[in-house]
Amino acid sequence: MSTLYVLDVPENTPVAKVAAEDPAVTVGRIGPYFEISAAGTIVIDRRATGCRHAVWYSAVGGVARDSRITQHDKDALRVEPA
Amino acid sequence: MTELDHRVRGVDHVAFPTFDPAATVRFYRDVLGFPVVHSICAAGWGPEDHPDFIHFFFDIGNEDRIAFFYYFGASEDIGGAKGARGDVYARFGADVPEFFVRSRHLAIHVENEEDLLEYRRRLDASDWPVEMQVQHETIESIYTHDPNGYMFEITRAMRPVTPQEDLDANLTIDALLDVVGEPEPTFGKLLARKAELIVERAADWELAQGSGR
Repeated sequence: MSTLYVLDVPENTPVAKVAAEDPAVTVGRIGPYFEISAAGTIVIDRRATGCRHAVWYSAVGGVARDSRITQHDKDALRVEPA
Repeated sequence: MTELDHRVRGVDHVAFPTFDPAATVRFYRDVLGFPVVHSICAAGWGPEDHPDFIHFFFDIGNEDRIAFFYYFGASEDIGGAKGARGDVYARFGADVPEFFVRSRHLAIHVENEEDLLEYRRRLDASDWPVEMQVQHETIESIYTHDPNGYMFEITRAMRPVTPQEDLDANLTIDALLDVVGEPEPTFGKLLARKAELIVERAADWELAQGSGR
């Protein structure tokens, strides 16, 4: 299982939107956060989100203990089961 | 969580030494247009080795002030080796990382983009042109170094801060305190602890918001 949390602010909404385009990914809500989860790996393409770098590199609010970030660079954010 | 009442009213003043008062006055008063609002001429102050000095203040808006000390007869060497990186307050060796040297700075707030660009115009026409203009997460800033080498930022909010960002900031700090309380804190441990706090607290926060608290 892979789960990450992204705060729902205007700059971050494209991150959740792009993540949700993968049918294997579920985007739910917990409080003011998007809860983005999948049975396997979550990959979010930075260019598809259109996020500026400062937004992109600070968009992750939390990553569940059974998951880990294996890529977070100018190309993509990748979260995998730990 | 603290429930102490909040009685403070912004920055009274922040103070730095200067060894070039002429350039400092030119930068803050003549280029930026920050009025001189106060000065103290002090002789025979404190212990015997304390130099005579002028302490002078510029208005940075909101009745807040930036202040400088000019010490007669003092050498710039007291801040470290001449020519080393840093500013006149603190100079650093070549082995000190750039991020650390640049971390300390003063940022002055403006209301909107028009005001930010006005200060950009004033600086660009001076001996201290803007070195960077950056849109961060939710703020946009211009940067230069003042005549003393202090990093100087003017910033504007691109949108108002939302209540959920205050919640997020508090979860971050609580997670940080937990993680630095254990050996070998890492960014990954912070995100994992924060995820737990989100699950514990975020849903309740939304209910509290919905009920109008």
